[in-house]
Amino acid sequence: MVRGIQSFHPFVLLVYYVLIIIGLMLYQHPLFLLGALFLIGTFNYILDKGRELKKWSFMIGMMITFIILLTPIFNRRGDQILFHFFEQPIMLEAVIQGIMIASTLAGILAIFVTFNIVLTPDKLLYLFSKVLPQWALLTMLSMRFVPLLIRKVKEMMSIQQVKGLSFNQGSVHKRAKNGMQIMQMLLTNALEDSIQAADSMSARGYGLQKRSNYNAFKMKSKDWLTLGSLMGSSIILLFGWAKGYGVLQLGPVLETIMLSGSEYIYFMTWLFLIGFPILTEGKEVIHWKYYQWKM
Amino acid sequence: MEILSMENVGFTYPNSNDEVLKNINFTINKGDFIVLCGTSGSGKSTLLRLIKHDLAPHGDLQGDIYYKGMRLEDHSPIKRAKEIGMVFQDPENQIVMDTVMNELLFGLENMGYSTPEMNKKIAEMTQFFGLNGLLKKKTDELSGGEKQLVNLVSVLLLDPDIILLDEPTSQLDPIAAKEFIYTLERLNDEFGITVLIVEHRLEDLFAVAEYVMVMDEGRVSYIDMPEEVVKKLINHPTLSRFLPSTSRIFLNFSESNGTKQIPITVKEAQGWLENQVIHPSKNREKHRGENKKILELKEIDFQYVKHEPPVLHNLSLNICKGEWHAILGANGTGKSTLLKIIAGVLKPQHGSIKYDGKKMKKNYHKTVSYLPQNPALYFVQDTLMKEYKMIARHFQIENANEKISQLLNQFQIYDLKDRHPHDLSGGQLQKAALIGTLLTQPAILLIDEPTKGLDPESKSRLAEVLRMLIKDGLTIVMVTHDVEFAASYSSTSSLLFQGQITTTEDTRKFFKENRYYTTTVNRITRKSNAPSVITIEEANEKWHVQENY
Repeated sequence: MVRGIQSFHPFVLLVYYVLIIIGLMLYQHPLFLLGALFLIGTFNYILDKGRELKKWSFMIGMMITFIILLTPIFNRRGDQILFHFFEQPIMLEAVIQGIMIASTLAGILAIFVTFNIVLTPDKLLYLFSKVLPQWALLTMLSMRFVPLLIRKVKEMMSIQQVKGLSFNQGSVHKRAKNGMQIMQMLLTNALEDSIQAADSMSARGYGLQKRSNYNAFKMKSKDWLTLGSLMGSSIILLFGWAKGYGVLQLGPVLETIMLSGSEYIYFMTWLFLIGFPILTEGKEVIHWKYYQWKM
Repeated sequence: MEILSMENVGFTYPNSNDEVLKNINFTINKGDFIVLCGTSGSGKSTLLRLIKHDLAPHGDLQGDIYYKGMRLEDHSPIKRAKEIGMVFQDPENQIVMDTVMNELLFGLENMGYSTPEMNKKIAEMTQFFGLNGLLKKKTDELSGGEKQLVNLVSVLLLDPDIILLDEPTSQLDPIAAKEFIYTLERLNDEFGITVLIVEHRLEDLFAVAEYVMVMDEGRVSYIDMPEEVVKKLINHPTLSRFLPSTSRIFLNFSESNGTKQIPITVKEAQGWLENQVIHPSKNREKHRGENKKILELKEIDFQYVKHEPPVLHNLSLNICKGEWHAILGANGTGKSTLLKIIAGVLKPQHGSIKYDGKKMKKNYHKTVSYLPQNPALYFVQDTLMKEYKMIARHFQIENANEKISQLLNQFQIYDLKDRHPHDLSGGQLQKAALIGTLLTQPAILLIDEPTKGLDPESKSRLAEVLRMLIKDGLTIVMVTHDVEFAASYSSTSSLLFQGQITTTEDTRKFFKENRYYTTTVNRITRKSNAPSVITIEEANEKWHVQENY
């Protein structure tokens, strides 16, 4: 599907993810982080109804619980004692910090889940090939030949099974020996096949001159516009961060969690930056609804 | 206009005294369609590779090769890469990228084209060849014919003036092979691209080619129009097998005194047959197996993945003792899966397999042997002898050494016993693997596509060997799409369609009732006034021809 967020140029998408991950690490403020978590969750839901995220949910859940429980036990800085746990004072500051660390990590993991869906291997390879073209070519070649090799192994094993050579019965020593024989034969075969592949490559002029690189993706005006607004809002956010907005002061005196004054501006900008994919996807949905309605 | 010529070309491989090519002279004009044929080892591939200068084998080259009036080595490498394209035998190994799009781009990127140029070229080519649906596919998922088409197109994208093809259809099924050849014909007709193709399967190529070049022991013995070559080769002891059966059946029954037109296409042969008066002579029945069932498959269901449709569904098949059973069917109908089930490698989800009236036992591997499609994969040791000894040890065969040397002598490959399997030719390798399968003295031999990549000469030698084994009481189950081979040699044929065996009949009856899935000879004789036959041998038995004056 090439609509919404997936229709953007891979470079714009990469910039988006870099900015979000830096933002998640810099903005250590419970409201900023919780807002971000909520939007990232929504983003996941819009992409695939949260299916990929569900696969990770157990791991993320475990991690959050551990961090939230353990941080207050080991961190004893602060001056607002909530209660005592085995004669250890549990501080409010430590609890808040635990929540912030947990949500930062959860946010980064959850945004990575969307990263895997949005930046497909071919898009990543495209970005990669801009920096290291030879390595990208090598990656592509191995993406072709590894599955081929696996299929060959399977075929060889079934042939040898009829011959009575077994890979899942008998002593470990015997199985290992049979396996090694297959490996050896596989290597001989692979070498021979690779000569043919090399012939086919040089028959098409490989290595005669510097290769050019096919640009599968083009920066459209909408990509430039998006890149501009992403950069713009992150400059505003960086400015705010440098002035101390969006970061909760834990010591020497605990700051109030509620936002005040110009902090609201930075909060809204932050939400816009993270929520940008949701905006584009939402626009798409509305567009289609309207389109169908008009028909 | 002359595009390519060779003057007194000779070639010797290093450390060898035999000249592979001897004193070769020929000229090819722009737009020619030339078929190069000859037995294995006659130097065809070497000749082709010498023309593709950058892939030329190492060795001592005499004489000169001219391309567009200049010596080949004086052209720039980029020009050579662009203008002389080459497609190889194995469709699989020459694809180097994971998707069709990337594969097509590979050559263009090598040539340093810009993105808009590449877009334009690819758009144009995919339109012409109808590859639109394939562009985003993984190259793994393509069929053999599609793979070879992608290989051809990726060469064509570089805009060649001449295309060299080294047995491009030998790994394809007959229908895909036919389509590929017609694609070549279209290229030649519509763009004037010169085609030089080395091929064993000449049934369709003779009708398409403008010239046929015949090589024999390193020399070009003939280069002429197809009809003339047919006349010259018909009495040749080995090369006559290369001729299309349309011409062979004609020359079998009428004297070629050079006045009559020799038929090349089915239509021409049908026209000739109309003017003949043919009396059926006495019918001789072929040797058939006993009617004792040796293997019974009943209501077999098999699927690889739970949610995908089953490969085999409700399949029943009986195999009688001593018969040569051919199972035919298009690609992807589950022929190889069926063989694996019979071999006991795969377990069906439903149904039963009975051997000799009883359920399969543990020592089943001794009674059933399997000769794979690619015999190179049969060997795990680095010489033939080591492999045989390993098998003998594994199955505790008595008098193993005697048996091995007896089989080696019988198959005439005793001298090769200490060679590495990969150093053997296709035909030799198959025999070598066959010996391995016979060591355990199996009752049933399963063969998967035995004729793939073999030239007609090796094919008929293989058939002789297998016939001999049948006489000794072996039962053969063969999976193939080589219609001509099955028709000539098997005794019973079955058709696998949609996961089921739809018909099992005596081979001759089986093919006579088919219209498309049948031999060329049967297509010629089907609706003629002559008794319909499926092979030339059968015609020799049944026909008594009188010339109609």
